[in-house]
Amino acid sequence: MKHGFFFRYCLQRVGQCLLVIFIGITITFIIPRLAPTDPVESAIATANMSGQYTHPEAVAEIRRALTELYGLEGGIFEQYFNFWKRLLKADLGPSYSSFPTPVMDLIRRSLPWTVGLLLTSAFIAWAIGNLIGGLAGYFSQRGWARTLGVFCMAIRPTPYYIMAFVILALFAYILPIFPLSGGLAIGVHFSFTWRFITSLLKHAFLPSLSLVIVSGGAWFLGMNSLVSNIVSEDYVVYAEMGGVSNRNILFRYVMRNALLPQVTGLALQLGMIFNGALITEYVFSYPGLGYLTYNAVFSGDYGLIIGIAIFSIIGVALAILIIDLAYPLFDPRIRHR
Amino acid sequence: MMSKLRGKFLLVMVVCIIATWTVLPAFAAEKMLEVAPGVLRHETLILENPTGRCENPDNFNRWAPGMTTYSTGLQQLALDTLWYIDPDAGISTPWDNSLAATKPIYNKDFTKMTAKLRRGIYWSDGVEFTADDLVYTVETCMAHPGVLAYGANFEVFVDKVYKTDDYTVVFELKKPNSRFHGLFTVRWSACFIMPKHIFEKVEDPVAFNFNPPVSLGPYVLKDYDKAGNWFLWERREDWQRTSLARYGMPQPKYALYINPGPSDKRVMAQIKHDLDVIHDIAPEGMITLAKKNPTSKGWFKGFPWAHPDPTLPALILNNERYPLNIKDVRWALTLLIDIVDVSLASYKGAATISAIAVPPTGGYLSWYFDSMEEWLGDFTLDIDIDGKPFHPYDPSATLRIAERARKDLGDIGSQVPTDPAEIKKALGYGWWKHAPDVAEKLLLRNGFTRDKAGKWLLPDGTPWKITIAVEGPARPIMTRGGTMIAEQWRKFGIDAKPVVIKLLWQSMSYGDGDAFMAWCIETWGGHPDLFWFLESWHSDYYKPSGEPVVFKNPMRFKNAELDTIIEGIQGLDFNDPKCLELGLEYVKVCVEEMPLIPLMSYNVFTVCDEYYWEGFPTFENPYTNPVPNWANSKYMFTMIRPKTVE
Amino acid sequence: MISTIKNLYEHDRRFRFAFIVIIGIIIFSSLSFFSPYDPDSSYDVPSDQSPSIKYFFGTSSRGQDIFWKMTFAIRNSLLFGISTALLSRIISILVGLTAGYKGGIGDRILMSINDSFIVIPILPLLILFNFIFQEKMSLFLLSLIMACLGWAWDARLIRSQVLSLKEREFTRTAVYSGMKSLPITLKEHLPFVMPIVFATMINNMLWSMGLEVSLAVLGLSDINTPTIGTTIYWANQHQALVAGVWWWIAAPIAISTLLFIGLYLLFASLNQYIDPRTRLLRMGG
Repeated sequence: MKHGFFFRYCLQRVGQCLLVIFIGITITFIIPRLAPTDPVESAIATANMSGQYTHPEAVAEIRRALTELYGLEGGIFEQYFNFWKRLLKADLGPSYSSFPTPVMDLIRRSLPWTVGLLLTSAFIAWAIGNLIGGLAGYFSQRGWARTLGVFCMAIRPTPYYIMAFVILALFAYILPIFPLSGGLAIGVHFSFTWRFITSLLKHAFLPSLSLVIVSGGAWFLGMNSLVSNIVSEDYVVYAEMGGVSNRNILFRYVMRNALLPQVTGLALQLGMIFNGALITEYVFSYPGLGYLTYNAVFSGDYGLIIGIAIFSIIGVALAILIIDLAYPLFDPRIRHR
Repeated sequence: MMSKLRGKFLLVMVVCIIATWTVLPAFAAEKMLEVAPGVLRHETLILENPTGRCENPDNFNRWAPGMTTYSTGLQQLALDTLWYIDPDAGISTPWDNSLAATKPIYNKDFTKMTAKLRRGIYWSDGVEFTADDLVYTVETCMAHPGVLAYGANFEVFVDKVYKTDDYTVVFELKKPNSRFHGLFTVRWSACFIMPKHIFEKVEDPVAFNFNPPVSLGPYVLKDYDKAGNWFLWERREDWQRTSLARYGMPQPKYALYINPGPSDKRVMAQIKHDLDVIHDIAPEGMITLAKKNPTSKGWFKGFPWAHPDPTLPALILNNERYPLNIKDVRWALTLLIDIVDVSLASYKGAATISAIAVPPTGGYLSWYFDSMEEWLGDFTLDIDIDGKPFHPYDPSATLRIAERARKDLGDIGSQVPTDPAEIKKALGYGWWKHAPDVAEKLLLRNGFTRDKAGKWLLPDGTPWKITIAVEGPARPIMTRGGTMIAEQWRKFGIDAKPVVIKLLWQSMSYGDGDAFMAWCIETWGGHPDLFWFLESWHSDYYKPSGEPVVFKNPMRFKNAELDTIIEGIQGLDFNDPKCLELGLEYVKVCVEEMPLIPLMSYNVFTVCDEYYWEGFPTFENPYTNPVPNWANSKYMFTMIRPKTVE
Repeated sequence: MISTIKNLYEHDRRFRFAFIVIIGIIIFSSLSFFSPYDPDSSYDVPSDQSPSIKYFFGTSSRGQDIFWKMTFAIRNSLLFGISTALLSRIISILVGLTAGYKGGIGDRILMSINDSFIVIPILPLLILFNFIFQEKMSLFLLSLIMACLGWAWDARLIRSQVLSLKEREFTRTAVYSGMKSLPITLKEHLPFVMPIVFATMINNMLWSMGLEVSLAVLGLSDINTPTIGTTIYWANQHQALVAGVWWWIAAPIAISTLLFIGLYLLFASLNQYIDPRTRLLRMGG
């Protein structure tokens, strides 16, 4: 691969990545504004619904004052322009539902929870799923491999909400081993103490378990079928005939070849971490980004929706960029023309 | 060789799995004796904060927009204002002079209100509460109208506010307002008093966080979760210097407001005795608790358990939409509802139903329901059935609900009352007859027709379609009720469909839809005055569809007779007995016109666990509303007693 | 066609199992046309009855016979999954093949659009679409929207498969022997692409049906149409899990699990059948 060519390829890819980010952000700017959600009306409706008295003559004044305060005056283009101006200074503006808390603050508070939970779970699930999946694919005629296969197939279509809830009920209620909800025990704050760490692990265990089971099952099935395809390739057959040990065949040839698409998948999944895990966080009351998104959408808080979406868009776009850049290195068959 | 490899891997796997499953639980299992370090479980009352997770838990500025921590204990335990009206009987009377020493004093034409304040009340930082705080609160909110809570209201009415001495404040009003004190009277909430000595040092009172909140109530904030899931309050050393001290010492040393997660988890948490007061759950959850946890107690001893809030869920019809603008059509739709099925579907029968446009709770049973019963029995629709005028009122509906519930509930069916007088109090007085034949006549005489398949057509021959907006999982009970009503209409041949509208309150505000399962009638519960919500029904404030409504008239109902009633109430003192008379007239107008179809009170399954604490308010001992996000739930803290736990 | 099925049925145990299960589920869902109850009607039977001879899957707290309700639910979910998958397959094959084949500037434009669809977070977007359409939101519209959102990653896979095929020897042979690029794509490459299409098809069905359940749990699906998701939604509205009405949840899970095992095995066995390598083997042997 020539140096100049690779450089040009990279530049092209990076340009495309930036373009994709731009389009993505623009779309997430526009769509919430098409929906009939309006942070001002939402604030008034919330006050109204919760039984706060407002004199009829005062309503118009509240509407006017909040519109001004939220900076929602002016046309959509003006808002769009201001939005980019702020964004380039890494300012996502205020959240409307939690006015005037900056969107950045809200995200910063939730982000570590989501990233911690999802990152660990993704890696564990990936490692376990692929390892067992590879073994099961290689020894596909064995009883245990088939049983596991059926188990994973059964897990996948089970609605995640139900599975998470059953896990919670089993291990937090019927066998009260783990806590029912939250990210930390009451009274525990962030610090490098044994109490903090155990509390963190204890609270993260069940949500993480539910995620590992689901995505581990998916990796298992993927790896399983990849390996069983590769096993029938000529070079494996020759290797077997040539008396190469099972272990060497499995790990040196088969798994290594099958891992490529799985690594791609992992990269994408890591990029998607910023989407949060809405249902997980809802069931386990875990204080992450997913739940934040849910609330943002329902309170018509565009500021927050766009803020979270931007993280996600950048995360996924970067993952794709990395995959694209790394692919030619791994797979010499693909050369860009 | 193969088996060796397999063996090795399986071994590693098994060891890993066993290790995770044994090591983690080993330090996971511990009985909760302490809620947090040093906070003993039996000294703590744990309550549900129905707001859920607070996204900006650092902001305790109750007056600022966008704050979400109001029911974390803040408005219940740390803030205070002049007056409280309890939706039930109240700790002495429903009316309580909290920070005020007397009831509000008005001049003759209601252009001036004087508030006398209590002496000897102190903020938790040792500064005395005086008239300056009240004047400052009003002036600050007025300086930011529309942004700080109640500021816009003050701007409309307050001409001048000043103190005449440290314990007397005078409000001079721009125009007469006999209900001005309502702004400082807690129903669910009200305008609370700001600490002047804190806020005056702040540059921007809108952006100010008020953290930690300086408390005027008996508790101070001890600790809270940066992720917004829990808030821990500790009783003040000098709790005697607060207004609540009149009723004795608040018993729990600590109060913990938590986000317990979805409804199923609240049930589990209470069975584990980790949640003393549940705000609300689905009726099935209540039934599970009644079966599984003998210490769980609702408002009623047995069925229907729930506390009827002074709020009236109704089918709010858009009176501007054709054909809902026709009175006969609204009545026909009412007569097509079988309330027994609606009650069973929504609340499993545990609803307190109402045929009239006030909620059947608190003092309203005797003020309105007893007074109206005879009139309702005599009331006829102007349509003849078999040559006789049709009487739509059906006092036996609740008896049928009780009977059905008794059958449906199986082994705990015996908890359903059998005494008709008791049924009346718990399940409501009666409702409208299920009379499809009359509905048919009402529609036919307005030119509606049926097509060959039996589907109803509008007078112009097009199919009649109607949607009922419901909120979905956010409000299961009403979604279930609305779906049932749609089904009943559909069975009659009307193309009715329930739709989940997440932004129901916004849609309703703009009149974007036919019918909404929601509420717009909210009363004091402990006081017969209706002005609170009724004022905005006056045609002066009428807004057509497409423009957002002001406050509580989403039906867009306009009626000259009603205007006279509202103006009448406006000219009377809050406590004038004539207000009740006018209130009854309002009820009659609503029966005649049926602008919205009243269904039931908002029954809240607030379940208290008598495991660590006892003496929670109940129907027999209705000293306050137990619903834990209501600011008046503070009275509960002085009345409950610790229970010795073995 | 029939002989192929017969052949597979006789020789492949996976196919046999899958075939029986799927036929069973299709029969089950077509029973909905003979249901004694209207799917919109409630309180037709006593509520909360556990499974018995009379009520095969028990009855729900809404007084509905779950057996008959499930026939509708499975039918609608299946139609939903299939239509979403088919529609999105059409888009992804078109985009993937075109981009892979054209290369150059066309490829870059297509891939930029494609990647933009990948990066936009879907769940918030679906919720917002729900707000935009409000009561007009039907299951079919949802399927259309999801098809429009769910094709991009698969188009990428197809494109990269085409790219790698282009490098293979037989493509060059075809090019040198004067074949046009379109016939090459259709004749030589589509068979290699089809296994991916099939594999992504089942994944897409899983994805769309799973997302439908998530949306329904959040109350964002059309609650009037019985599907697997709305069944769970209604069970949740009545707290079936805590109230001990487990059969209300168990029935949709059991049936959808069977359905997916069936689909998975079917596609696995079809894949093997279509895979050019194994086909060559079969032809040779």
